[in-house]
Amino acid sequence: MSPGLLLSLFPIAQAGFPEPMGGATLAPYLFVSALLFVIGMVGFITRRNLIIMFLCTELMFQAAGLALVAFSRFYLEHTGQTFVIFVLTVAAAEAALALALVVLLFRKKDSLSGEEWREMQG
Amino acid sequence: MVHAGSAAGFGRQKESGRAVEQLINPFLLFLGLALGGVGLCAALPRRRVNPQVLGAVLGGLGLGIVLLALGLKNPGQLPNYNFYIFGFIAVGSALRVITHPRPVYAALYFILTILASCGLYLILSAEFMAFALVIIYAGAILITYLFVIMLATQAPSEDNLESLADYDTQARAPFVAAVTGFVLLASLTTMLFRGVGDLPTPTAPHPDALLAEMPNKASPDKIMLALDRRGELREGDQFAGLDPLAGTVTLQTIDGYRTVAIPPEVKVGNVESIGFDLLNEHPGSIEIAGVILLMAMLGATVLSRKQVEFEEEAKLRQSQALAATGQVFADKEVRP
Repeated sequence: MSPGLLLSLFPIAQAGFPEPMGGATLAPYLFVSALLFVIGMVGFITRRNLIIMFLCTELMFQAAGLALVAFSRFYLEHTGQTFVIFVLTVAAAEAALALALVVLLFRKKDSLSGEEWREMQG
Repeated sequence: MVHAGSAAGFGRQKESGRAVEQLINPFLLFLGLALGGVGLCAALPRRRVNPQVLGAVLGGLGLGIVLLALGLKNPGQLPNYNFYIFGFIAVGSALRVITHPRPVYAALYFILTILASCGLYLILSAEFMAFALVIIYAGAILITYLFVIMLATQAPSEDNLESLADYDTQARAPFVAAVTGFVLLASLTTMLFRGVGDLPTPTAPHPDALLAEMPNKASPDKIMLALDRRGELREGDQFAGLDPLAGTVTLQTIDGYRTVAIPPEVKVGNVESIGFDLLNEHPGSIEIAGVILLMAMLGATVLSRKQVEFEEEAKLRQSQALAATGQVFADKEVRP
């Protein structure tokens, strides 16, 4: 298989913004993004393991990033992609703090269940 | 797209109904979402009967119906077919993240989600962000998660689900959560699809317009060198001017001027555009992001600091020594 044929089979990456794309092309990306967000939300509600709950928030960050990049491609602007950098920053900070908290809580009760901390109300 | 007379009703309802129907038949959308919700509800972890295969089949069917219906309405504007591959991998492994009872596997499936969405980023021609995502998310954040899972999970010795902790194998209120989630998704997608079809297609800015603001990148020396490498220079050619908006370089020849196209080496790529946008438009945000990261690092260090407890005997000896002599000397004595 020649490299040219391979490239024509997999036209993934192009340099820069090639051409405008229509709203109907944008819709499937937004659908996948919304789906990822809702999956993350359902996971955050249903799972009881603290680590998986925070993993689900990362899933929601990921969905937001996908929507930002899709809109950036649609409007042919780079600001959307720049914003993903800040989303990454916040995600990293959140992960560090959340995991430190998880380790702290695990040391106290020897369990990762979120429901162990029910009495921490108010 | 002509949908004359396809929507019943009048006034505003008619308009909005037609706007959704530009993209997808609402019946198919809600059918797919309902199937997906039932599948997700079936696939969430349970103690007794766990029909995860059935849930996966139903969820995939629902997602497939929506994506196919989205494509069928506008066959001229189909997304790149790689979108379907990456999209299915991303959503499928995201489902696995929340349905897998073992946290380590959930984290690994999350890495798969990240890699698949990097594929989507590549299709959306965001190359820099795609690779940054692999490095930062899959390489750094998820590894931290894996470390914490290893630190904080009791390793199950057997391979069956019974050995797992109760909070991993039993979902909290799966039915209510799935219904809530997919009602939210239905309203979200209806609103998105109502608006997106009507968005005017934006006009492309000139791809080389940024070159005018990058004097170092488009310096005469570099342009002439690139032209020379491509063999487009003739004897006696000299740089006369650069016109980014027209995409040409003007050269001074022996008998007048001629223009050639800007060589591709000099053109602005994705990384340069993002860097320019980041530093030119959001310099304050970068500083704030740095402060946020610093605070997060400090906070994590303070939170996870462990206090080392003295043994009882050592405490007793220390208190005796404190009573007998001054604090300074007591400190020295007790420390081994």
